[in-house]
Amino acid sequence: MTAATPTTTRRPAFWRNVRVLRVTFQAVFLVAVVGLLLFLFDNVVYNLERLGIPTGFDYLRQPAGFAIPDTDFRSSQSLLDALLVGVQNTIKVALLGIVLATIIGVIVGVSRLSSNWLVRRVAALYVETFRNIPVLVIILFWYLGVMIRLPPIREGVELLDMVAISNRGIVVPWFDQVGGGLTFAIFALIGLLAAAAVWTWRTRRFEATGQPHRRALWTGGVLLLILAIGFVLAGRPWTLDTPETGELSTSGGFRLAPEYAALLIALSLYTASHIAEIVRGSILAVPRGQGEAADAVGLSGFQRLRHVVLPQAFRISIPPISNQYLNLTKNSSLGVAISYYEVTKVTQVSIAQSAPAVQAIVVLMGIYLVLSLFIAAVTNLFNRRLTLKGRR
Amino acid sequence: MRVFQGWTLCVLFAVVLFLGAGCSLGDDDDDSGNGDASGDTGSAEAGGGGQDGGGSLLQEVQDRGTLRCGVNDAVPGFGFTGEGGEPQGFDIDFCKVIAAAVLGDAEAVEYTPLSAEQRFTALQSGEIDVLSRNTTYTASRDGTEGARFLHTTFYDGQGMMVRTESGHTTLEDLAGETICVLSGTTTELNLESQFQARGIDYTPLAFEDNEPLQAAFVEERCGAWTSDKSQLAGIRSAWPEGQGGPEALTIMDETMSKEPLGPVVSDGDDAWADAVNWAVYATIQAEEFGLTSENIGEGSEDPEIQRFLGEAVEGEPFDAGLGLPDDFAVQVVTQVGNYAEIYDRNVGEGSALELPRDFNALWTDGGLQFAPPYR
Repeated sequence: MTAATPTTTRRPAFWRNVRVLRVTFQAVFLVAVVGLLLFLFDNVVYNLERLGIPTGFDYLRQPAGFAIPDTDFRSSQSLLDALLVGVQNTIKVALLGIVLATIIGVIVGVSRLSSNWLVRRVAALYVETFRNIPVLVIILFWYLGVMIRLPPIREGVELLDMVAISNRGIVVPWFDQVGGGLTFAIFALIGLLAAAAVWTWRTRRFEATGQPHRRALWTGGVLLLILAIGFVLAGRPWTLDTPETGELSTSGGFRLAPEYAALLIALSLYTASHIAEIVRGSILAVPRGQGEAADAVGLSGFQRLRHVVLPQAFRISIPPISNQYLNLTKNSSLGVAISYYEVTKVTQVSIAQSAPAVQAIVVLMGIYLVLSLFIAAVTNLFNRRLTLKGRR
Repeated sequence: MRVFQGWTLCVLFAVVLFLGAGCSLGDDDDDSGNGDASGDTGSAEAGGGGQDGGGSLLQEVQDRGTLRCGVNDAVPGFGFTGEGGEPQGFDIDFCKVIAAAVLGDAEAVEYTPLSAEQRFTALQSGEIDVLSRNTTYTASRDGTEGARFLHTTFYDGQGMMVRTESGHTTLEDLAGETICVLSGTTTELNLESQFQARGIDYTPLAFEDNEPLQAAFVEERCGAWTSDKSQLAGIRSAWPEGQGGPEALTIMDETMSKEPLGPVVSDGDDAWADAVNWAVYATIQAEEFGLTSENIGEGSEDPEIQRFLGEAVEGEPFDAGLGLPDDFAVQVVTQVGNYAEIYDRNVGEGSALELPRDFNALWTDGGLQFAPPYR
């Protein structure tokens, strides 16, 4: 078909012309798909109207009527506000979950390649356990099996008068602002600038002299020092707020609700088991010669890992790990099972409280799409920065 | 090789074209049929999704021979799974009442257990014919859920249950408490509005199902449980001895709301709604006439009762034009019972709940249960 010789001047008939056919087929296919979607859409709208169910998105402005625990949300606020609170709760789980899962995952992944038999086996046991149990079961275990089986509040445990533990939540001391925020903010800004300057200075010095830079140590030290001075000069703008256990609830401190804690722990542990395998695979994918070269120039075991193997493994692991981040975010919707008010739960409750189901689910899908695309965009940005030039 | 690839592509495109044409043809057909008669074939394939035009759900149910009833399976007394694995309870009995009236067989019911959050979607999609699942009649549900609320079979109110040992007796005692509630219920909304109005601080903990809620209550994750008083009474009566039995729980005297509960059908099918409504009225009318499942066979000289029982008065049996069999009331009362029998057996004196009739007494006894005249 492609072997058209330049000498032939007669064009083929249009029904044998590949280009015409291709365009036609694609156009027909497009029409069919669009037609099908239009038909489905029309069908939904027709049936909703027949049942007298509202078809627009005006319902989002109605007052919610229900309360959301552990937030400032008032039931007189609109369903849209309720959804936003739900999104916040989803992000709270997803973000912290991603951080925790990454830390645990990297540690376990590296441990699986350890030369220590015990460490290696324990890591393998962890991975095999969590990877092979459905995440919903893990969540239910942490909630019904652990969190609500903590002692009831009247028998609540207090550690050193600082941490209160009961099945109403784990309460840790938290900072309470009492004033002088602006002065402190200025100091914080100065501290950050100074820290950046120190970082650059240590890097330049290292490049010039080759002596260990210890950037993290220097920068952190300078930042902490300036923050401490600022704290004192601003008249101690924060005090430590320790939990106070009452008869029915605790006041003060920062309360980690059992539902939130169970979801966070379960998602982190589950996702970490997958990340661990990705990390292990990525390390094994770094050519053996790289490690041998590191040995040859006399780097220590830790240095070899930190400066030679991990940076290269990191590059390999970003695309699959970003996939796991997406999974974790989407799995957070399982919080409905344990009454954690993330965005799916809020949607479900509003549907039950007379928000139209079709629209509410469409909005929910849109929210997850935006969240996922955002995470994908961030990880892609990382990936692009780290990809070796010429490898793309 | 290239030529071969080109051919495969062509074949592929041809297949796609075929499928595409099939789709577009199909949706042309449906589009044109949408306006007038989408009910004829479309609804049958879509599991009875629509019942517009001539085909009422009443006809569909009679053709099918079974009634699909959406129920609860976790509230003792109202809708729960009995010892033999059979669904039992007040709401279940009303499914049977409808089946007996429409089909002449109280056992021809397919039960679908539904959560509070699923129930209206199941009704809208046509998965169930009728919802008999302690559902409160409210304006917004009537307006936006495409639901039609029928006669209230049980007048209820929201209550609060606490552990007896906590010593709480009023809602004010619950300041700072965590309160368990089913999500997607009117109870959840009442709880919020009542506590806000009284300025009582509390933390709601809303579950989808009664089982995790009960687990949370047992573990004292929450110190109070709010629901319709009848449901609380049911749960209390079945409270396991290992947890201290019914004595371990107290239902506060306060009633926080009015909760009229009754069967619900899909909007826009009057014939079906009428049939279900009159099946329910039959139980109330029978109690008013003093007819029970025991004595209904004895007959009566009273022309009103004869008319009600579908006996031929002056030649023709009375036909109210409801599309129900002439003897539907007889079937309902003999197979299931009158309102008093249903009440006593499930939630009244003859049950573990021992709820007094109160508002659910007949209007002649000062209650609210009232059936329009059958004539």
